[in-house]
Amino acid sequence: MKTGVCRVAAVVVAASALLLTSVAAGATSSVTITTPRAGQSISLKKNPYLAVAGGVSFAATTPGSTAFYLRRDGCGTSNDNPHLSTTSGTDGGGGCGLIFNAVVGVGGDLDQGAFVDFPATDGMPLPLDATHAIDGAIALTGAQVGLATVDVTLEALVHGNAVTLGSDSESAVLDPTGNDTPIPFTIQPSATLDGSDLQALDLRVHIHGPNIYSGFISLNGNSYVHVPSYAASVNKAVQISVDDPTFANPTPARLDATGSGWSVAIPTPAIGKHTIYAESIQGFDTSAPASRTFTVTK
Amino acid sequence: MKRLVLSAAAALAAFTFAASAAADPAHHPLYMPDARNMQNPALQPPPICCSPVGPPVAGEPAPVNMAYFGGHIQVVPKIYLVFWGWGQAGAFDHTTPGMPTYDPDGAAARMTDFVKAIGGTGWAGVQTQYYELDNGQEVHITNPANQFGGVWYDNTNPIHDNVTGLELAQEAQRAVAHFGVTDLHDSQFVIAQPQKFNEAGFNGGVGYCAWHDYTQPQYYPGVQPGISFTNMPYVLNLGSSCGQNSVNTAYFAGKLDGFTIVMGHEIEETITDPGAEDVINGQNLGGWYDYAAYENGDKCAWVGYTFGLSSPSTVPGGLNDITGNDGKKYAVQSLWSNDSAAGVGYCAGAGDDFPVTG
Repeated sequence: MKTGVCRVAAVVVAASALLLTSVAAGATSSVTITTPRAGQSISLKKNPYLAVAGGVSFAATTPGSTAFYLRRDGCGTSNDNPHLSTTSGTDGGGGCGLIFNAVVGVGGDLDQGAFVDFPATDGMPLPLDATHAIDGAIALTGAQVGLATVDVTLEALVHGNAVTLGSDSESAVLDPTGNDTPIPFTIQPSATLDGSDLQALDLRVHIHGPNIYSGFISLNGNSYVHVPSYAASVNKAVQISVDDPTFANPTPARLDATGSGWSVAIPTPAIGKHTIYAESIQGFDTSAPASRTFTVTK
Repeated sequence: MKRLVLSAAAALAAFTFAASAAADPAHHPLYMPDARNMQNPALQPPPICCSPVGPPVAGEPAPVNMAYFGGHIQVVPKIYLVFWGWGQAGAFDHTTPGMPTYDPDGAAARMTDFVKAIGGTGWAGVQTQYYELDNGQEVHITNPANQFGGVWYDNTNPIHDNVTGLELAQEAQRAVAHFGVTDLHDSQFVIAQPQKFNEAGFNGGVGYCAWHDYTQPQYYPGVQPGISFTNMPYVLNLGSSCGQNSVNTAYFAGKLDGFTIVMGHEIEETITDPGAEDVINGQNLGGWYDYAAYENGDKCAWVGYTFGLSSPSTVPGGLNDITGNDGKKYAVQSLWSNDSAAGVGYCAGAGDDFPVTG
């Protein structure tokens, strides 16, 4: 757990971080087959193994960052729908949130016992860059004074499994005269998660403190999380299939050092006409297949 | 010796209750009320005895041991999963990158993994104390490592929203044919429904998460008799009422808790009571349940559950994660064990047993 007092400088840094580049989505890859040549005849006797090779183009994996904003559609209704979105705007639930209706004073910890989950509704999948820290801010607003603590936990789905990216707990002395008080937080995910394709993301926020009478999470772009990410998935592959365009039993190919070529040797198919199919995979994107027809002779 | 006494008592109970129940042919499936409807009178099992017993107190085990009512049990359980219409257009209103479109939340995968993983666990092992009488001999439930019968994604026979119990039974019959099952006694069929096409009572807010039943011509006309099946709706639709995040509180880690809790409840009830308390022409087809007709799952449903205020596993017999035979964790409820607490009986098997276990 990390606890610190919010400073104005930190607020400025957090605010400027909003200008970080957002990662483009919808990247695609493509693949070609150069060997064997179209219509080539291959002797089974002379070539018990068949070399298959080609070119591939993957989307750039430039490191960047994706901003997710805490948003809420309503206030105190079944349509509140707290969520994360890569776009910011005016929120129907802005200024709505936590009402403690009590003050326990210094030394106590007024805990509503409730947390709010903000699952991402867009921006997925996201290739995580775990070489950098995740940061963000939860801005508090409303009638408030004294120390407030914000606990945040970021959870994701990776390969269909729940993975906790990390958590942080930060405190700040609230300013009752200000519009809102951003409380910055930082989460350093495990390096083992670097390059993971996040399928889903959730930010859980829990606010507590001894002197809060009522408090609200300020929305409308004021509360956010920046997730370091790659512009496209770093998980790249090429696979081939003989006479089966559905790739039911694919054979993985080896990518060369440049990442623009691939090759694989397979047992030469039986005598007759055959079609080899190849497709490239980058994260959850699969290219249109390339195909090459050739003939195996005695 | 204890077994002999219990067997005699059970036989007497079976005779008495069979006669009583024959006079009261009321029938409905055996519901698993959601966590907010545990005491809903409409969801209690049909009365079988002359001494009315109130419904279980929410969050607490229902006392009194179970008895054997004379019907068969599933000695070598085989569980068949049917994901009816999960690949049909409109079955889900969302997708998840990297997840199949027919299973965007991973619920089907989790349920399948769970059924494959329960064999040989201590949780499923609770069942081995229960038995049927074959020519006066006790034949006990076994706990083999593989209790998974098979899985069928049926996208051929169309499903629709608000399906009826009869339609579920008909799907179970199709599953019998699909899998080529000949041993109905040891087989059960879980008819799992996708997010947008569910059984009418579940959709209608009756207050249950699932139910199990046994096909008989009186109740499921035109359906092959003797099929034990479970109505397994998409319980995530009812959120925490059907167990979402009840054991694992993190958003994704606990999202599917309800699927294994609810399906596990129905599967294990079906193993000990595949005949679903049916009484046909005076013959009791029921297996094991208590005098108030609560089965081993009913008696331990939602124990310790406080909707997030405290961890249910801190309560003996409370909801908890078990470790499957694949080494993975699965959220379950405990099961009633007559042997626990020195024979007094208690909820057991979920890794948080009452200190005195049998």
